[in-house]
Amino acid sequence: MSKGLLKLNVNGREREDAVAGNTLLLDYLRDTAGLTGTKQGCDGGECGACTVLIDGEPRLACITLAASCEGRAVETIESLAAEGRMSRLQQAFHEKLGTQCGFCTPGMIMAAEALLRRNPNPSEAEIREALSGNLCRCTGYVKIIESVQAAAGGCA
Amino acid sequence: MERMPDFELKRAATLAEAVTWLAADPRAKLFAGGTDLVPNLRRGIERAAVLIDLGAVHGLSDIALTDTGLSLGARVTLARLASDVTIAQQAPALAEAARAVAGPGHRSAATLGGNLCLDTRCVFYNQSEWWRAANRYCLKRGGDTCHVAPQGQRCHAAFSGDLAPALLVLGAEVQLVSARGTRRIPLAELYRDDGAAHLTLSRDEVLSGVRIPAASPGLRSGYRKARTRGAMDFPLAGAACALTLRDGVLAELRIAITGTNSNPFLLAGCDEFIGRPADAEVLAQLGKRVQKQVSPMRSTVTPSNYRRLVAAVLAQRLVSELSATA
Amino acid sequence: MKLDQVSLRHGAAPATRSVGERTPLVDGIDKVTGRARYTADLPLGPTLVGKILRSPVAHGIIRSIDAHKARAMAGVRAVVTGQDFVAPYGVIPIAQNEWPLARDKVRYRGEPLVAVAAVDEATAEAALRAITYDIEILPAYFTTADARAEGATPLHESKPGNVERKVEQDFGDVDAEFAAADLVLERRYEGNEVYHGQIELDASIAEWEPERERLTVHTVTQVPYYLHLMLAQTLGLDEAQIRVVKPFIGGGFGHRVEPLNFEMITALLARAANGRVKLELTREETFITHRGRPATEMRMKIGLKANGQITGIDAEVVQRGGAYAGYGLVTILYAGALLHAIYKVGASRFRGYRVYTNLPPCGAMRGHGAVQVRFAFEALLDEMAETLGLDPIAVRRANLLTEIPYRTLNDLQVNSYGLPACIAAVEKASGWNERRGKLPHRPGLRRGLGMACSHYVSGSAKPVHWSGEPHAVINLKLDFDGGITVLTGASDIGQGSSTLITQIVAEVLLVPMQRIRLVSTDSALTPKDNGSYSSRVSFMVGNAALNASKALKRLLIEAAARRLKVTADEIEWAGESCGVIGTDQMLDWAQVVQEALVDSGTLTVKGTWSTPPETQGGKFRGAAVGSSAGFSYGAQVVEVEVDEDTGRVAVQKVWVAHDCGRAINPLAVEGQVQGAIWMGMGQALSEETQYHEGLPLRPNMLDCRIPTIVESPPIEVFLIESMDPLGPFGAKEASEGGLHGFPPALCNAIFDAIGIRLTELPATPDRVLEAIQARRRDERLRARRAATAAPAAATVEVQ
Repeated sequence: MSKGLLKLNVNGREREDAVAGNTLLLDYLRDTAGLTGTKQGCDGGECGACTVLIDGEPRLACITLAASCEGRAVETIESLAAEGRMSRLQQAFHEKLGTQCGFCTPGMIMAAEALLRRNPNPSEAEIREALSGNLCRCTGYVKIIESVQAAAGGCA
Repeated sequence: MERMPDFELKRAATLAEAVTWLAADPRAKLFAGGTDLVPNLRRGIERAAVLIDLGAVHGLSDIALTDTGLSLGARVTLARLASDVTIAQQAPALAEAARAVAGPGHRSAATLGGNLCLDTRCVFYNQSEWWRAANRYCLKRGGDTCHVAPQGQRCHAAFSGDLAPALLVLGAEVQLVSARGTRRIPLAELYRDDGAAHLTLSRDEVLSGVRIPAASPGLRSGYRKARTRGAMDFPLAGAACALTLRDGVLAELRIAITGTNSNPFLLAGCDEFIGRPADAEVLAQLGKRVQKQVSPMRSTVTPSNYRRLVAAVLAQRLVSELSATA
Repeated sequence: MKLDQVSLRHGAAPATRSVGERTPLVDGIDKVTGRARYTADLPLGPTLVGKILRSPVAHGIIRSIDAHKARAMAGVRAVVTGQDFVAPYGVIPIAQNEWPLARDKVRYRGEPLVAVAAVDEATAEAALRAITYDIEILPAYFTTADARAEGATPLHESKPGNVERKVEQDFGDVDAEFAAADLVLERRYEGNEVYHGQIELDASIAEWEPERERLTVHTVTQVPYYLHLMLAQTLGLDEAQIRVVKPFIGGGFGHRVEPLNFEMITALLARAANGRVKLELTREETFITHRGRPATEMRMKIGLKANGQITGIDAEVVQRGGAYAGYGLVTILYAGALLHAIYKVGASRFRGYRVYTNLPPCGAMRGHGAVQVRFAFEALLDEMAETLGLDPIAVRRANLLTEIPYRTLNDLQVNSYGLPACIAAVEKASGWNERRGKLPHRPGLRRGLGMACSHYVSGSAKPVHWSGEPHAVINLKLDFDGGITVLTGASDIGQGSSTLITQIVAEVLLVPMQRIRLVSTDSALTPKDNGSYSSRVSFMVGNAALNASKALKRLLIEAAARRLKVTADEIEWAGESCGVIGTDQMLDWAQVVQEALVDSGTLTVKGTWSTPPETQGGKFRGAAVGSSAGFSYGAQVVEVEVDEDTGRVAVQKVWVAHDCGRAINPLAVEGQVQGAIWMGMGQALSEETQYHEGLPLRPNMLDCRIPTIVESPPIEVFLIESMDPLGPFGAKEASEGGLHGFPPALCNAIFDAIGIRLTELPATPDRVLEAIQARRRDERLRARRAATAAPAAATVEVQ
């Protein structure tokens, strides 16, 4: 299979890579960009573990073609911590135990990040809807909701 | 992970370019959001040597409201349909249907055109290559038996898109473009009652847009979906309704169902209820009518009789709620 | 030198308590930043791609496998079959009848048949396609009835009737107890087969160093030790040649508590290829690997006195076990054992059958074999309470154990029992007495409250391998840098075991947790641990950590005493500092450590623990299963709203009280209890495996119907601390007990809402609706009969 040159922005950094047309964004991120934070949990678009942001919108990397992201800005879990500090969401998931085994966590946090960017003070129903595509098998979601609420509430 | 088949991805700059490529290459398939196609490619259900990416085509994602109606480009995402103020006001059933699809990550990418052209689904079809080979494939793909109805000659895969019924009750028309020209047909004519060949559009046609005629004054519409979980699942049954009331009686009534048959369809005989109030007797009769016209088969893990019953309940509740809105 | 001039060089922390503190996970930061590396993420260098060819045949004799074309392909480095393994394996030493790749026979659709290692995925796939085989088809059985029928072909020659294990356990005189009862009721129940559904896909990376003949395996296991043994056994290696490493894993729930076929396959491929092989399973393959909870048919019979006291129990349980033994005999034993140790029982009779079927093998899943039976028991108890006109909570109260410690009929030892407090807590919090029967109903939507109790072991008191070793070992290392390293074989699978161990060590030494590092699950470095299953880690490894840190503390105090020229008794220990009681003399941490290292060098301290003999159960056959050094207890109330037209059941809220002995980490305990309740909800409401002629119909994350956040209820947790005398700081398990109680509490709530008792799980909308419609039909029929009855009838039956 022949490759094309893919130019996109990943976590704030411009990248240029030779990528086959059938490469999934998930594999591109993990294998080419070396960002293993984004996970695969299913056979295609069913669990949300691969959730990343593309131009600020939540997307499923395992059913997205890398080539279709030409010119776009992709953000993964690795982008949230800045200058040695975790983001409010990351801090909340850690302190409120929104994470247990941690496998769904990157996707869950990115979906929550997408929510808080467009809706900094979501209701519980809005949190549930925003995370409705992310499965967790450990927490029963209770402390995930509390984590998002903790990150949203209080002063910036 | 299940490996993606090899294919060439071609990014069309214009719709004209896309239809030219489509006409030239019988192995080509259209690609927009990919939320239905990519899982099917990964499973080996679909094979395409060439994918024509519509992502960069100009003018396919516009929403325009005029006094004759609402014009929607096929590439408008479900997320946009779910949140756009104009859609919420002009076509509430469409907004509700869009919000009910899958999850947020899907809705950001999935498109109006893609959802209307969603592949039919069946528990014997939406499986891996290994699984389907072990089961000797099926009538829809690669085999000669429909495992849902082995004695029969047809495929019973169910149409499972949520937008179609909403657009059917809103009287939508779709625009189909090919190298041979453009045509407009009522949405209902896009579908055929055949799980293996449920779309009437030709291989070389692109669904480029949808037009919803201006709503009659006082038109109310909505969409309700039955599924076991509260998100993600395809409909076990879905019902859309558009109605108007005048002096307490129905002046207009349209109901459409998805998820039960191989095509989404408008409920026949709704006109017989014009002039009557949406009372218990009418609801009961409507329910019976829905039960008669749906034909769910064992294409899902949920028993088909349940899908029949719940389709009727959804329709009844929707008519009741829409009639009650002050 | 006046000791108050001693500079506390780095600002010694005051004496710090850790046990009982709400503590974020010691590895939480790695998880939320994406730094945590799971098996598929490990940067171990270039790897070959491993892939498995799976049998499409449910039952058959392998006549031949022809892989010569695959072997000849460019880029294919190894092709292996069942013949290339040396021995079969299994987690229970007396029941090892499974080969990592099928050998001689295939017994379920999806069973691994051949495996290849190639330079890339495309080549591996092409190699598999080039393999042909000839399998002689045998009759296949997908139900227990068919498998046990007269003349059925045995799956395993040693078990001609396809029963892996028949259990017969009788305690006391059941018939006399039934005769003495005021009400005896018998019902049939069906529990569903479910998947674990952990989000991480199965994967292994194995490396064979041909020059040194050493194997290193990185894998998703919950039981590195058992895997280590089976790698040696199936590959014909010496255990010393093998190193097993468990990195971060994305959940287990029992899926990974036995050595799994793909792990041994990866290892064999690595050796055959003389290199490094990475094998990643798809979600479908992960589900086919299975080892989930078996579908279970139950006949439950209980005798009650009019005041609700249980006289006798008679239970018959049939588990549809799948094609291989795995944990099978343990699962069926748990089904009977845990009829006891929760309520007082006059007598019991248990008949259990573990049946082979041509389906993916079942195994251990959270709560193990007791879950289905607890559903049947608590549902029947509820029905009988209603018949007797008793409140369900009152009936539980009528049967509480009153004298603790308590020895059950089947020789289980109960040393702490917080169940009364659990019941009281949820009774109050849910407003049970005030609200039950008075819940607001909306048209077509009916609300109900239901409750159930449950319990579970804190680890099995008898280990799987009776090697004479302690049941848990912890090593501590303290060196010149002043940092304490905990070395443990305990597998943190997300439940927070690494955090708990760190808390215990920190608590004993009174140092901040920051001073402690934990290294786990690398067989080259860490002491062996039996694994994370049956909730043994908090209790057993926690105790070992307690003992190890006490030993370390003793050494440090002695060193301080030497340095300060006093006796050990005169030292007041404050963690990062210590002093002489009643004086100003002080030493800081660095000084104490420095003294302790003199002559000794690096301090390495070991702590061990074993279950006391009196907790190890009785002497009858199968007695080892069910025995535990500490039982957890729980009570829960579930509130539902049932849509009578769609059959949909929406759980509004769950109140759960869990007796965990002592909450070492209340935050983690809450999280585990919530997760357990919710997993019970998944089983009770929407999850189920289904098969079509032995092919799994729902092997994906859409159709298996794990609940999403949208329909998942608020779960309020109350922690009850009964302070177990044997548990570390009094702690018992927190991760499994709550699950058992949810399915019956849900069904009891559905009854409260709509007056229908479901006896089959899951309570999907179609099943609920069917039950509602069946009742409507019955009512219409009765009404019609009453209407046409002779007008002179003397009595009218009132429903």
